[in-house]
Order: sequence, then structure tokens, then C-alpha cells
Amino acid sequence: MISLHPKPLPFHFFPKQPKPKTLTLRVQSLLQYNRKPQLAGDTPRVVVITSGKGGVGKTTTTANIGLSLARLGFSVVAIDADVGLRNLDLLLGLENRVNYTVVEVLNGDCRLDQALVRDKRWSNFELLCISKPRSKLPLGFGGKALIWLVDALKNREEGKPDFILIDCPAGIDAGFITAITPANEAVLVTTPDITSLRDADRVTGLLECDGIRDIKMIVNRVRTDMIKGEDMMSVLDVQEMLGLPLLGVIPDDPEVIRSTNRGYPLVLNKPPALAGLAFEQAAWRLVEQDSMKAVMMEEEPKKRGFFSFFGG
Amino acid sequence: MASIWTVHLHASSSFPLRNCSNELQLRPEFGLDCSNCTFWSRKVKSGKFVVRAVSSDDERRLQNDAIVTQNSEKINAEKNRQLNPVAKLQESISTLPSFVFSTGKFKFGGNLTIGLCIVATILVVVVRGYAARKSRYSRPGSVADLVRRGQLRSDRRGISTPLKYEDPFNNPMVKVSQSNSTVEMCGKVYRLAPVTLTDEQQSVHQRRRSRAYQWKRPTIFLKEGESIPPDVDPDTVRWIPANHPFATTSSDIDEDLAQNNVYQKHGVPFRIQAEHEALQKKLEALQIDQKLNKLVIDPAAARDFERPLKSNMKSESQVEHRPTSDHVNNSFGNKPQSEETQNP
Ligand SMILES: Nc1ncnc2c1ncn2[C@@H]1O[C@H](COP(=O)(O)OP(=O)(O)OP(=O)(O)O)[C@@H](O)[C@H]1O
Ligand SMILES: [Mg+2]
Repeated sequence: MISLHPKPLPFHFFPKQPKPKTLTLRVQSLLQYNRKPQLAGDTPRVVVITSGKGGVGKTTTTANIGLSLARLGFSVVAIDADVGLRNLDLLLGLENRVNYTVVEVLNGDCRLDQALVRDKRWSNFELLCISKPRSKLPLGFGGKALIWLVDALKNREEGKPDFILIDCPAGIDAGFITAITPANEAVLVTTPDITSLRDADRVTGLLECDGIRDIKMIVNRVRTDMIKGEDMMSVLDVQEMLGLPLLGVIPDDPEVIRSTNRGYPLVLNKPPALAGLAFEQAAWRLVEQDSMKAVMMEEEPKKRGFFSFFGG
Repeated sequence: MASIWTVHLHASSSFPLRNCSNELQLRPEFGLDCSNCTFWSRKVKSGKFVVRAVSSDDERRLQNDAIVTQNSEKINAEKNRQLNPVAKLQESISTLPSFVFSTGKFKFGGNLTIGLCIVATILVVVVRGYAARKSRYSRPGSVADLVRRGQLRSDRRGISTPLKYEDPFNNPMVKVSQSNSTVEMCGKVYRLAPVTLTDEQQSVHQRRRSRAYQWKRPTIFLKEGESIPPDVDPDTVRWIPANHPFATTSSDIDEDLAQNNVYQKHGVPFRIQAEHEALQKKLEALQIDQKLNKLVIDPAAARDFERPLKSNMKSESQVEHRPTSDHVNNSFGNKPQSEETQNP
């Protein structure tokens, strides 16, 4: 979940302090960079979030990383490319505000800017749905349509977005093909189980065939307690099987379901949930095109005593 | 953090650990902003709590504390036996007086003892109430277990306050130890293991995959049964079942038009415009139709048209007398005249 920065930035704030006077100085906040993450690569960065297997958390990842990015000050357009089973709008709590979709834009029923739903919490976050649940998307130019959309967003008057996140549907069907068409990079979401991993490997292969080289993975629903008991593959096992750099490790957190119910992505929770923190850090790494240098392995019993007063 | 703090609170007030209900009550007082709370401010508050919860009288406090502790130990023992809560309550109350008298006798008089007894009874009832409420949530596998395991914080249950980070770049919830070997998140310490994946390993995997999966992204979608157009690579054809629930291979809209629609930045969307124009034309045609019909069929309408004609004629006769009204009448009169000429 944590990437130790190659240059340990947090420690620069206490330069050459031989012995910290108080105990608070011995533990330091990792995200205390006091800076905006450095945006790497050309904008808009078109990132497809895919997995192969269904239900592993693509939509959850899109919503949380999207809003994290928005909160970090980047403008984000999230495209729900899940044509048949769209639910990104539900996760974001924007379901009542989706009046128009890409299908209507293509048909000329509305303009693109009318189909973009701006989030009221973070106004630099916009949602775009491909189609209404019951309307049919003409597949002939599904992929082309997304390329046009990205093009149109690039050239729009209020400025191009920094990130275009595409929530890919499960499977490797037409929806998948449509979703990956405009992407330059991919986030592969997987869970540490063998079924999801096999699909992930396949999808990675297809993405690579399509020329998407920048693929990073997010391992979702990790349970440190089960890894400790050897009941679950560890994140490093997963990495050994897929050979992909890690963007993030998301613990299995019941708060995810609760936040889904509320239509309020986890990363906006206060106090932050464990999974929210993990998503936030994944977003940070996505911005900097960084990957994790170390992963959290198991819980150590917490030391009791004076330290625990400063524990988060 | 709150749960850790609770442990300390109980340790200092010598309450039994099982009685966690106090924790729920205390939280609002402490506030949940972990980054700002200091150890000392909490310490002060905990002192207040002890005083408030037991009694304001200093002398009695020690006594009460002792009694409560002993009683609660008893209660705990009983609870372990998993009795029915009501029966347990009755039992504990019935065993109480003798116990209190025995401790009270050698320090206080009769009145004091009775007072103490009442106070103790009330306390026991309150504690039992909490315990009963607590046990209701503690069936195996319930959400309470997640709280106990630290997966879930009870104060976060239900509606947590939405987070509008003023400063997303400063996160006090994540702390890395100085040796970089452990990290502390949400009050739990995790060991950090370095990622060992090398670039070489990565490219080995890439080569493996490129051997295993050969694929061309389909560029054309055809319904099963349709024939492949001559200039298309059969590898890039994607066959869509005819009854696909949300995809259709045919589109009633032209591709260039669709592209223009996506690129349109201002003005009325294409189809709205087209529909509007079509509607306008239809309406105009309808209006003309209606007017013609009126002139032909409706005798009343015909009379309506006659009237201005008559008045026009009248006004024309009046021209000599009233030259000022000439313009007005003419402007009225011209229209029906012209329409009359259209009339077949
Ligand atoms: N870290 C997590 N902890 C607990 N539950 C999770 C986590 N991530 C996802 N879930 C749950 O898994 C379910 C599926 O998540 P989600 O809809 O994001 O998956 P998906 O990959 O988008 O599914 P689909 O393939 O249908 O689009 C949801 O109910 C969500 O609450
Ligand atoms: Mg989804």
C-alpha cells in the first residue's frame, strides 16, 4: 500500500536532527510532501481501468481514483464505458443527474458538454456515461466514438482535462474493445485469487497486443490476516505471477460497500478508511507514473504504551 | 486510535474491559480529529469522566470505585455463563445487598450504607443495561465482530462526515517508521516488504504473454450471418450475436454526422435542430392548410374575412372625410384582400 519514495521526501523536513526530542518526531506522515504531485506524461492522460474478470472493483477504483485526482487538483473526466451494466454513476451518487449519454451526443440529441455531469463536490470531476441502460449502442463506431470524444475533450474551450479515466466493462467483448481503443495506459485491477489472475494475465496480453505498454496493476480486496495464515496469495505472489508494476494495494474494507450505498466514494470519507487511504496513494502514484517500492505485508501487534497515543 | 485510547481510559478508571459502551458515549466529547487531539487534553477529559460517572463526593468515590469494580467482575463472570439477561440482572441485584452491607459496615453508619446500596444498585442496573445492549450486537459474524477485529471503527458506522480535504497533501493517518520497515495506518502497524520485481522480470513476462496471446483489436463489428466486406481483414472482425442485449451493428446515423455531433461546441444539437426545422415546416404547412380550409369550409370564417373587406370599403368611402385614418385602415385592409385573391 505504501511506496517508499526513492528519495525519502518526508525526512527532508527534519534535516539532520541527531535525536528527536519528542517521540512524535520518530514517526512521520508519509504523505506529508506538502506539494502537489508532479504530473508526468502528456495530458490528457487516457487511462483505461480494466480487469477481465467481473466484480473485482474496476468501478470502485475508477470512482475513488477519479475523485482523488480531482482532489489533488487535476481535472478529470471519468467515462463509464460499461454499456450494459453501468454503475459508475451510482457509486458517485450522480445517478439522478445523468440526462444525456454519449449515444445522445452521437445522435445529435445534445452536445458533448451537455452530457458531461459535473460533480458538485469537486467541480473538476466530470462523469460521462456511454449509454442509458436500455438504449443500444451502435457498435460500428463504438471505439471510434471514444476517440472522437477524447479529441473533442482535448479541444474544448474550458481546457483539456488532465485525466480521462475509462471504466471498462468486464470480459473481452465489444465493450472492452470499445473502452481500450482510445487509451494510452491501463490500470489492471485484480484480486489475489487464481481466477481473477488468469483473466488479468489474458487481458494484459491483449492490451500489450494493442500497443498499450504502460500497464500497472492494483491488487484489490487484500486481507492481510488471510495472507498471514497462508490462506491468500500475497501481493508479491500476485506480482510474481503477472510481472506488472504495482500501482496500489487496496485492502478488503467493509467501508467500500457502505460508501457504495451512500454514493459517496471512500476517499471522501472522514476519517479516512484504510481502503480510502490506499486509493489515494494509488492516485498519487498514477499522477507521477510511479509504482510501489514496498508493500504492506502483515499486521504487527501494535506496541502498547506511550506510542499508542500518537497512533492513527 | 479511539479504540486504543479506550483501553487506556479503562485502565485508569479501573472499569472492566468488556464494558465498552462507555467508549461510544465518550467519543463525541473527544472529537474525532485525531491529528489535533493531544494526549494531555484527553487526559483531562478522562478525569472529568471518572468524577461525573461515579460521584462528586471525593470520599465516596474510592469506595464506589471499589464496589463497582468488584460488582462488575461478578457480572462478567456471570455473563460468561451465558444466562438470560433478565435472570442475570435479578440474580446480581439479589446478591448485591449482602455484599454492600459487608463492605459498608466497618466504615459507615446504617443510613450511609443504605445510600451506598441504592447508588450501587443503580450503577449495577446501568451497567447491566449496557452489557445487554452490547451483547445484542455481539452475535458471531456480525458487524460488531468487524469492529472488534479493527476492520471497522464503530464511530465510522452509519454516516461518516464527508471529507473535504483542505489539505490533501498532509495525511496524518499514514506514518512510516524511521527505519522504513513498518508503516502505521489507521492505528495498525504493518510490516513493509520491498518489491522485488525487476525490469528484466517484467520483460520476461511481456515476452511470455506476447507468445501466448496473439490478438488484433477488432475494428469492425458484424452480426452473425452478415458477410465480410471485401477490404476487411477477417482477423479484425468481431462477431456480435444477433440478439445482443445492448449492442447493435447497424446504425441509423451516418458516421461523419455522428463525428460532427461529438465535435459540436455551440448551438443547438443537430437532431434537435433538424427536428425543430421539420416541426416548423409541418406547422407552417398545417397553418396554411387550416387557413385554406377555413376559407373554403367555414362560413363564419368567410364572414370574418368579409368584414374587414366591408370596413375597408367603408373606410375607402370615408377617405374624403377623414384622411388621418387612411393609413390604419389600409394596413388592415390589404391583408384580407391579398388573401382573397389567393382564394381559388
Ligand atoms: N476493497 C474492497 N473491499 C470490499 N469490497 C469491495 C472492495 N472493492 C470492491 N468491493 C465490492 O465488490 C463489488 C464489485 O465492485 P465493482 O462494482 O467496483 O466491480 P467491477 O469490477 O466494476 O464490476 P463489474 O465487472 O460488474 O463492472 C462491489 O459490491 C464492491 O462493494
Ligand atoms: Mg463496473
